[in-house]
Amino acid sequence: MAAASSSDSDACGAESNEANSKWLDAHYDPMANIHTFSACLALADLHGDGEYKLVVGDLGPGGQQPRLKVLKGPLVMTESPLPALPAAAATFLMEQHEPRTPALALASGPCVYVYKNLRPYFKFSLPQLPPNPLEQDLWNQAKEDRIDPLTLKEMLESIRETAEEPLSIQSLRFLQLELSEMEAFVNQHKSNSIKRQTVITTMTTLKKNLADEDAVSCLVLGTENKELLVLDPEAFTILAKMSLPSVPVFLEVSGQFDVEFRLAAACRNGNIYILRRDSKHPKYCIELSAQPVGLIRVHKVLVVGSTQDSLHGFTHKGKKLWTVQMPAAILTMNLLEQHSRGLQAVMAGLANGEVRIYRDKALLNVIHTPDAVTSLCFGRYGREDNTLIMTTRGGGLIIKILKRTAVFVEGGSEVGPPPAQAMKLNVPRKTRLYVDQTLREREAGTAMHRAFQTDLYLLRLRAARAYLQALESSLSPLSTTAREPLKLHAVVSIWVQGLGPTFKLTLHLQNTSTTRPVLGLLVCFLYNEALYSLPRAFFKVPLLVPGLNYPLETFVESLSNKGISDIIKVLVLREGQSAPLLSAHVNMPGSEGLAAA
Amino acid sequence: MIWNTRNSTYIFTAPEFPILEKQNWLIHLHYIRKDYEACKAVIKEQLQETQGLCEYAIYVQALIFRLEGNIQESLELFQTCAVLSPQSADNLKQVARSLFLLGKHKAAIEVYNEAAKLNQKDWEISHNLGVCYIYLKQFNKAQDQLHNALNLNRHDLTYIMLGKIHLLEGDLDKAIEVYKKAVEFSPENTELLTTLGLLYLQLGIYQKAFEHLGNALTYDPTNYKAILAAGSMMQTHGDFDVALTKYRVVACAVPESPPLWNNIGMCFFGKKKYVAAISCLKRANYLAPFDWKILYNLGLVHLTMQQYASAFHFLSAAINFQPKMGELYMLLAVALTNLEDTENAKRAYAEAVHLDKCNPLVNLNYAVLLYNQGEKKNALAQYQEMEKKVSLLKDNSSLEFDSEMVEMAQKLGAALQVGEALVWTKPVKDPKSKHQTTSTSKPASFQQPLGSNQALGQAMSSAAAYRTLPSGAGGTSQFTKPPSLPLEPEPAVESSPTETSEQIREK
Repeated sequence: MAAASSSDSDACGAESNEANSKWLDAHYDPMANIHTFSACLALADLHGDGEYKLVVGDLGPGGQQPRLKVLKGPLVMTESPLPALPAAAATFLMEQHEPRTPALALASGPCVYVYKNLRPYFKFSLPQLPPNPLEQDLWNQAKEDRIDPLTLKEMLESIRETAEEPLSIQSLRFLQLELSEMEAFVNQHKSNSIKRQTVITTMTTLKKNLADEDAVSCLVLGTENKELLVLDPEAFTILAKMSLPSVPVFLEVSGQFDVEFRLAAACRNGNIYILRRDSKHPKYCIELSAQPVGLIRVHKVLVVGSTQDSLHGFTHKGKKLWTVQMPAAILTMNLLEQHSRGLQAVMAGLANGEVRIYRDKALLNVIHTPDAVTSLCFGRYGREDNTLIMTTRGGGLIIKILKRTAVFVEGGSEVGPPPAQAMKLNVPRKTRLYVDQTLREREAGTAMHRAFQTDLYLLRLRAARAYLQALESSLSPLSTTAREPLKLHAVVSIWVQGLGPTFKLTLHLQNTSTTRPVLGLLVCFLYNEALYSLPRAFFKVPLLVPGLNYPLETFVESLSNKGISDIIKVLVLREGQSAPLLSAHVNMPGSEGLAAA
Repeated sequence: MIWNTRNSTYIFTAPEFPILEKQNWLIHLHYIRKDYEACKAVIKEQLQETQGLCEYAIYVQALIFRLEGNIQESLELFQTCAVLSPQSADNLKQVARSLFLLGKHKAAIEVYNEAAKLNQKDWEISHNLGVCYIYLKQFNKAQDQLHNALNLNRHDLTYIMLGKIHLLEGDLDKAIEVYKKAVEFSPENTELLTTLGLLYLQLGIYQKAFEHLGNALTYDPTNYKAILAAGSMMQTHGDFDVALTKYRVVACAVPESPPLWNNIGMCFFGKKKYVAAISCLKRANYLAPFDWKILYNLGLVHLTMQQYASAFHFLSAAINFQPKMGELYMLLAVALTNLEDTENAKRAYAEAVHLDKCNPLVNLNYAVLLYNQGEKKNALAQYQEMEKKVSLLKDNSSLEFDSEMVEMAQKLGAALQVGEALVWTKPVKDPKSKHQTTSTSKPASFQQPLGSNQALGQAMSSAAAYRTLPSGAGGTSQFTKPPSLPLEPEPAVESSPTETSEQIREK
């Protein structure tokens, strides 16, 4: 494996294996019970003691027990329950004065919970949305009993049909009700003012006025009602409000709020909108043909992972730069920033249990994990600068430390032919016999050809003759004469009763004509009397109505004690005619009862 | 937990009704990670809590249903969404999409038109309308809509669809225009590159075809279609070893591809490894028993091997699948001649001459047979017919004829006492001592110089989906010479060391 050293330029160089891995395995706990997203992971020096902690907004198993966990090293330091599922976590500096400990913001439902020193500090709630004035008016009328529930319902429905904004939940619930329940509902709720509350879907931070590492940052919130809000870090007032055509899912911000900034928002309609400081509305739009699963800015390139298992690079103006195909679905993405070497790269956790690290379209490193990684985070943890934290689908926690000597080198995997090219073609071999036959054909080709042609003609002749004979003597189980359109299905069902050698023979007769019933048919069985005995070898068939299937049953007893089986011929005849209309041969099975005895 | 509300302007009271959109973000995150089980669990919970009012939960549930193939259910759910918020173009788009997937294209168009009223500037609506019109065979309307979509926002998919319309209409030039633009817009899309390459191949513009196929292979060295097409081009140039090396990649990825084994077989044929060729062709035939091109090639190889009886069977099978091709009848006639069935051979030739329009070889072979049978008059007629075709071909291209064929024609000309070298540019000083009768069973072959355009035109390729013309690698008729390596019980399939050093010439 010496060839595959870290400086090697072939594809193996990008793989990480035991010997030459760039990573130290610091910790792996498959039972850590952390279920979260990359957006809910944050690393920060929460106490100002130079010891970086990991903040996890944990959804809990099955999204049932949302918790805020703070990890120090491999251990959970504090854990506190949350009122609702966390949508995003971020750490930021609120104010200038010392000690410069960052605050922790946790977005959940309509609120942002801000912690300082891990103590609850402030709760910001999104302002209520203005209700539709018409709707408000209607409910006011209802309050004063000037409107009956039915009219109210009609009016609300017409608002729903036409208005841009959705109705309040109260009105929507009301519209769902039956007539009888309306009165009570109106009485119960008419005094409540109608509310429309939205929730936070995503959150990120934006430097206020300085580009420094430890500058004061604003929170940027994306909401369910398609808006972006920028909050003041100290007063928690809304500094700016921008609207989007769809609900934001991922945000990526660069610049400073007071100077100039660019905001990229990946939205639920599969588009990425890019906004700038002065624009209230998107300036550029990138239309992916699939849903984005991650949005990361690396220097000036926006890297987007899509549900089509690919990474795309875009400029800040929305021009597509490159595309890389992934071997499996992307689950999560995050930024890898190695300050000491000035490296910025994108990490993507894939469904096949790989974490791939890309700089632009060049693969730098592949980490194989025991379970699919669902959230990723890279940065300073504890006192170690370059730590990679991953949580897995099963709730495991993996911590890896980047070796200080490790240098990421572009794999250059696209050079050289694919490995399959070196494999041998699997050409089927021919035997000596085949060769001999070939030689023979060469010598006696003409004779072979002639013999074959003669035989072929003879075969065709015989087949034609046999067919003609069958037609003439009605030997087929299908009668095709216009007068007697009959089809006979002879099905044998065998019933072994105990060890007894009795079979049950069921004939299915069907009249296939469309209109005419058939009357006066007879069934006759021909068999070797030494071998079988039938209670009735000859009986009349009832009237056959067109289309119906008539099962006719009879018992057959096998007389032979040697296990010999024979054919029983079934003939269907018309009264007064000796030639059968149709016939069938039944291959009787051997009698197992006697054979066993 | 005590929350400091010093700055908050109102007192927060717990809402009486749960917020409908409370967990939309979670549903969405699960959905895009394709974790559909978790997604469904959250949706169920959310719908219970909101009594079925959460539109987004229903929406995603419908999307999941559609992915799982329950299109009818998804349609119903999307319709529910459209009722919950009638102003949303997105819901209508999804309703239309489900209708489209159910094959109700007209209904889908109606709904898309509704959606278009709500959202004028959506490329997706225009694109999908265009696709619906394609299925309804209204190509003009489809083109309008697709151009509309391109004006709103350019997407590879729209280009592909537009190109498809032109192909369906049989307008290759326009299709190439569209794909050219598409490649300009997205130069790394291997599907676009491959399609464009194949179109050029079909038109016989080999330089460009190879360029685009090569580009496609640069971005995706395992692209099945591109490798087969590029390989078949190399084959027609005689680069059998390089082509074989390339085919190995495909053989690994798609080991059960009939065109692949057909092409590999013809590579071996070109390398005169006939047993290996037959093995590979038989595998191709096993994989695709109804492909007449493979049967044609099998017939050709068997003729070369002087296994005329086998050749007869393969050729007659091929004719059963493709009764409209002169060359097939000619080959059949050659087989029959060798099987001493002159009567049927003549009939086959007659059919071949009747069907064929431009291949002088058919007439030449027929003339030889007639001459050998003593029917000089008819032979002369065929000879003249051949001369006509030859002069026509010469006018149209700078093609050089195979020397063996020229020689044979001159011999025949002499025997028939027609003026010598009327049409042949290359005067061949041929001693006439060798008389025609020697070549009873050896009609001329038609091996074209490799590298000329015409030779490529005849190149066998079942690789390229658009190709129609098959042919053996290089020649379409029996070789006069017996094969140099008659038989190898275990053919050297593995490439010799010299071969491996040869690398592909793509950029």
